Amino acid sequence: MTRLTLAAGALALAAAPAALAAPPDRSAVVETYADIAAAKYADSLASAERLQAAVDALISAPSAQALEAAKDAWVAARVPYQQSEVYRFGNAIVDDWEGKVNAWPLDEGLIDYVAPAHGFAEGENDLAQLNVVATPAFTLSGQEVDAAEITAALLQDVLHEADGVEANVATGYHAIEFLLWGQDLNGHGPGAGTRPWTDYAQGPDCTGGNCDRRAEYLRAATDLLVSDLAWMTAQWAEDGAARAAVTEDPSSGLLAMLTGMGSLSYGEQAGERMRLGLMLNDPEEEHDCFSDNTHNSHYYDGLGVRNVYLGRYVGIDGRVVSGPSLSDLVAAADPALDAELQGDLAATMAALGDIKTAAEAGFAYDMMLERGNAEGEALIMGGVTALIEQTRGIERAAEVLGLQALEVEGSDSLDDPEAVFQ
Amino acid sequence: MRGLLVGLLLAVAPAATAAQTPDPGAIVDAHILPGYRTLAARAAELDRAAEADCDPSSATLRQAYGDAFDAWVRVSHLRFGPSEEHDRAFALAFWPDPRGAGPRTLAGFLQEGGAEVADLAAFRDVSVAARGFYALERLLHDPDLRAAAAGDDARVCALIRLVAADIAQVSAALLVAWVDGHSDLMRGAGDNDVYRSRDEALRQLFTALSTGLEFTSAVRLGRPLGTFDRPRPQRAEAWRSERSLRHVRLSLEATRDLARHLSAGDAALDAAFARAIERVDRLDDPRFAGVATPQGRVRVEAVQRAVNEIRAQIAGELGPRLGISAGFNALDGD
Repeated sequence: MTRLTLAAGALALAAAPAALAAPPDRSAVVETYADIAAAKYADSLASAERLQAAVDALISAPSAQALEAAKDAWVAARVPYQQSEVYRFGNAIVDDWEGKVNAWPLDEGLIDYVAPAHGFAEGENDLAQLNVVATPAFTLSGQEVDAAEITAALLQDVLHEADGVEANVATGYHAIEFLLWGQDLNGHGPGAGTRPWTDYAQGPDCTGGNCDRRAEYLRAATDLLVSDLAWMTAQWAEDGAARAAVTEDPSSGLLAMLTGMGSLSYGEQAGERMRLGLMLNDPEEEHDCFSDNTHNSHYYDGLGVRNVYLGRYVGIDGRVVSGPSLSDLVAAADPALDAELQGDLAATMAALGDIKTAAEAGFAYDMMLERGNAEGEALIMGGVTALIEQTRGIERAAEVLGLQALEVEGSDSLDDPEAVFQ
Repeated sequence: MRGLLVGLLLAVAPAATAAQTPDPGAIVDAHILPGYRTLAARAAELDRAAEADCDPSSATLRQAYGDAFDAWVRVSHLRFGPSEEHDRAFALAFWPDPRGAGPRTLAGFLQEGGAEVADLAAFRDVSVAARGFYALERLLHDPDLRAAAAGDDARVCALIRLVAADIAQVSAALLVAWVDGHSDLMRGAGDNDVYRSRDEALRQLFTALSTGLEFTSAVRLGRPLGTFDRPRPQRAEAWRSERSLRHVRLSLEATRDLARHLSAGDAALDAAFARAIERVDRLDDPRFAGVATPQGRVRVEAVQRAVNEIRAQIAGELGPRLGISAGFNALDGD
């Protein structure tokens, strides 16, 4: 039966070489995109709640095991969240919000103790050494701030991006990462941050000082992460605003999909997160620098891009969300381009997989960044090159779908250049 | 009568469109190659000047630095092809540097020397933040940084010569890569896999135009402007050598030239450039120190607004007329 069908297919192809598969309905493609977003944010929320439980356990009964359990929960929570990053660009609702949960890089000295810093970034950030865990009252832009109690409001309304400096990251995954791991002081050597569990011990065992305030900070930041993710999950629900924004006008929804894929692939991941670190040979340019989890961060970002194109996501419980895809649309218009772009996306996953494989075997990402480390450079550049290559394919897909002809609102595009495929 | 007129217009329209479609090869010859030739020549002169006199206060050396930097800014919008290969553009011009990676690395070299600064071959492997024009600006115009050498003038001199020689070498390599490779790819757009059609080559040039203007607006002007409550004059580009405003003008001149080629001399677009340049010329504030005062700030904002008007015309009118839109650029993202 299968053979017969194949033969019939071959006949049909031979008879009508120019015939193309019928394209799926564009509105069905953006529905898949919205469904996958809803699943990714719901998974991000569920895994952040597990992190929250682990943090509660660490704070109520500090121990080495409790700290390790919280770190494990953080690493697991990154898996669905990183796959959602492709929704950042192109969706104003996500882009306006994402700084609260995933801002990076950060001047972590704002939050807690750090090793003595080097200067030369004058005029950039007066708060880079604030250490709010040790500082219950301070002056910020001429205003007295009462930080006797470390609350969610203090973090998100006062400290986050304080003084208009983006490196003042007080909330989100990376603030929590720093509170769990501490600074990675190994430079290009092996090893992540080594914050002792006793930084959360109450009473005489406390190390690093102000363990009660550090615990208060960690709890407030984790609670905020959960509530921020709950908010975003709701935006993609049946009546959510982010869903409506992409489904009401399928063409602009498709544009958002391609904008997200291209902006994350090119400017953000290939450029800002991978090539820059290599060019600077700076271990602090690692994306998940405290936990040494950068290889996973890059891998799941790349996977998120491919999810959007193929219209398929595997959830944290193994369920599969899938439906009519961009790939189907492109294949109906230009099968060769679809095959090529699928190949490009697969090549990127293989290259990012090489980085992940080597890192998990002990060749950490910050070691790859070291000046003169030819193997590390080749691994990272393999990912960069593949990401740049797939960006060309994404641009071509937009053209094949006739999306570049969309009218670009001048001022919107200038205020928010990422929001449009201008 | 009306029917006849419409028929005539229809007959004429395709020919007019064809005549107005820009030729990427012509833009390579008239806009791109001259820019890179000048850069390579000025960078070679900079190298010779540093060899002849490496005193940071030498007027000849500072002049050569300024001339070569000018030539770089005039091609700084062309961020594709040879400038992206081997990190050449970053090696010439790593800015902004909010974490101070450049001066931190340079200070280390001035304090300790080391194998990285033993010769040019080794130096080409160091962090891009310690190479190129912005590194040279620090060495020539930042006495606090030079103090890291603790009076060892020979060490300062050697580092200045290294950075200058590296700039010359990278600039020469850029020109070679254009002349011997990328020029033909653009000319032969449609016959190669980098540019599969003339439209793809034009999209690359259009992306360079819009990204160059976005950089001038958002970074060259936006960084020092900061916010009304918190202006950031120390974040201005190359303020130590008082080149901040100059770079805005040079980049506008260069993108204006590219826009003329892409738009077949569109008078309205050219007038928008003229208005922006006029506002630059009325602004007597070479390093944007004025952003710290309300009056000075308003005038810098006026320049930024004029640049944004150009960008709106390019995105809203030139792109649709050419049937192309900008591709992704390095400013996408954070």
